[in-house]
Amino acid sequence: MDAFFYIILVVGLLSSGICLVAGILKKAPNDITILSVAAVELALMVYLVGSIVRVIAGEPIAGEAWEFWGYLATAMLLPPAAVYWSILERTRWSNFVLAAVGVTALVMAARMNQIWY
Amino acid sequence: MEEARNVNAPHPEASPDHGSASARDARSTDTPHGDTGSTDSRSTDTPLGDTGSTDPRSTRNTGPGRLLIAVYAVFAISATARAGYQILTKFSDAPLAYLLSAFAAVVYLVATVSLAKAGSTWFKVSLVAVLVELVGVLVVGALSIFDPVAFPHETVWSLFGRGYAFIPLLLPILGLVWLYRRRPGTRPSGAQN
Repeated sequence: MDAFFYIILVVGLLSSGICLVAGILKKAPNDITILSVAAVELALMVYLVGSIVRVIAGEPIAGEAWEFWGYLATAMLLPPAAVYWSILERTRWSNFVLAAVGVTALVMAARMNQIWY
Repeated sequence: MEEARNVNAPHPEASPDHGSASARDARSTDTPHGDTGSTDSRSTDTPLGDTGSTDPRSTRNTGPGRLLIAVYAVFAISATARAGYQILTKFSDAPLAYLLSAFAAVVYLVATVSLAKAGSTWFKVSLVAVLVELVGVLVVGALSIFDPVAFPHETVWSLFGRGYAFIPLLLPILGLVWLYRRRPGTRPSGAQN
């Protein structure tokens, strides 16, 4: 597990925690929960840029390269998709949808780490 | 615009195949629960939510249903990607397991789409998809435990979905509960959601 994973671990868990609490408190998605999901997207962008830099620098991906990039691309689609889905109907349940993003990104980042090393 | 999404559902063709007495009970208990969120958000944030100008019961795409659909969508994506990967790269290793993966992916896709669609026809599609999913996870889960030699290769449903935090086992149960509570033809006259 590298630094990219740990960044997503922290940001993802924070985001999921914030959204989960907001949902439990029966709040609709607000700036805080949506921005926390945006932070997950940002963390994934850091992973993307970092990975591109590493590949250009000549570091090899141990597993299937296209599988790694597939995971990363899919993970980066999740936050915008979840935010879109959650603002179509702004109920407390939408916050649980947002809460799923951080955890899912975390699992995908763990898998991306496995593929890379 | 958002309201339109919720209410543009066609009127349910009031399917008569459910008892109305028990239906009424279930409806009266789940209505306040399902509404808490939208009422709350309506008062604090936005005027969206179930406006109820047409029958809001004809859609499963609201409240907790939206969370369910989102989780189904994630599983549809991951199962499709996984099955596609397995079939493209190592199909000959375990054709049965990988075809099973593909089948699971199709079930998740159908469940996701049908849950998001309004109307009683899509309700039936959802019901079939979720039941198939439940049978699939139970049968494959049991086989992978009792006959690990025949099922050595991983699918979403292996070991009751242990590789996915048992969500594949939980999902069809929650799906059935949700479908039961939102089944068509249970709306009494005059009750506004």
